[in-house]
Amino acid sequence: MIQLILILAFGALCLSSLYFLARRTPRAEGGSGPLVEARQALQALRSGLLPPELIARIFARADLEYVLSEVPENVRPLFMEERKKIALSWVNQVRRQILLLRRFYLGSARSYARLSFRTEIALALDFAALLFACRALQVALYVRGPFAVPGMVETTAAVAARVCKVYEESLAFLSPAQLGALADRSAGAARL
Amino acid sequence: MDVQQAAEDLRRRTLSEIPRSLDRLIYLASMRDYNTGLYYHDGLASRFTQEVACEALADCHREAFRDLVGSPLRGLVCQMEGYMDSTHTSPGEFLTAWKKLEPYRVAVPVETDPLSAEFLFSSFKIALAILEARLRPAPAAPDA
Repeated sequence: MIQLILILAFGALCLSSLYFLARRTPRAEGGSGPLVEARQALQALRSGLLPPELIARIFARADLEYVLSEVPENVRPLFMEERKKIALSWVNQVRRQILLLRRFYLGSARSYARLSFRTEIALALDFAALLFACRALQVALYVRGPFAVPGMVETTAAVAARVCKVYEESLAFLSPAQLGALADRSAGAARL
Repeated sequence: MDVQQAAEDLRRRTLSEIPRSLDRLIYLASMRDYNTGLYYHDGLASRFTQEVACEALADCHREAFRDLVGSPLRGLVCQMEGYMDSTHTSPGEFLTAWKKLEPYRVAVPVETDPLSAEFLFSSFKIALAILEARLRPAPAAPDA
């Protein structure tokens, strides 16, 4: 009798372990949510935040020179305030998207992306440098205004573009159709 | 291909008569139904199809938006001044209405990236302030 109870208890333990392992599997493979989020972050960076022409417009010295030379003095504070607001918004959004990419990198990248060890190390360094650069740029923009640190802006944008390129290459094996299917699956899972 | 042809047709027949990007943006936004987000242009739809005309109008709308975002502040101020003159309202009334109602906020294409839109709105705000300061100069400080 005692043997039977022990066997049943062992069986129940095995079944519950299997159940929990089965529940855990999708998460261990990364799920599709983080992947879709990472692709969206890439898209936001590529098309919304990093186009050189937009960055050039936000930090355009020509606009500052125009305002300083041809515009009534009482408008200058508004100009500086508005450009500072936009510049800070730009760096905040870049930082937010980079954090999303890093979350994907730390949590699920190995399940999807074909990253070599060397690429992983390079990415880790780029992430650290980029997040530091974003913070430093936020402080500099806040303290010195949007036209005082063009070098920092260029460097931050260049490193962010490099991170995007590495990610795009490592996720290039996913076709848009596969990505759409993953997004649907992710939305379905979120509804459940 | 049809969409490109329709957009070219629209540029040649209609938009070539509207030289400023700001005017084109406002004109194209006015062709959009606020309830559905779809664009309508009877002439273009009769030459192509309603769907193609809608896509072509959307393309040209995005193009006008990109032109404006890429325009230096000096150019934007000139465009706004030109547009203001073309409306035949008094500059004071125009500036007051635009500052209060901010009509440019509903004139951007859908799926515009938020930062570009915010940048353009901010530039409009500065341009309006510049025009207003020129119209109503600040009183000179009294001599000491």
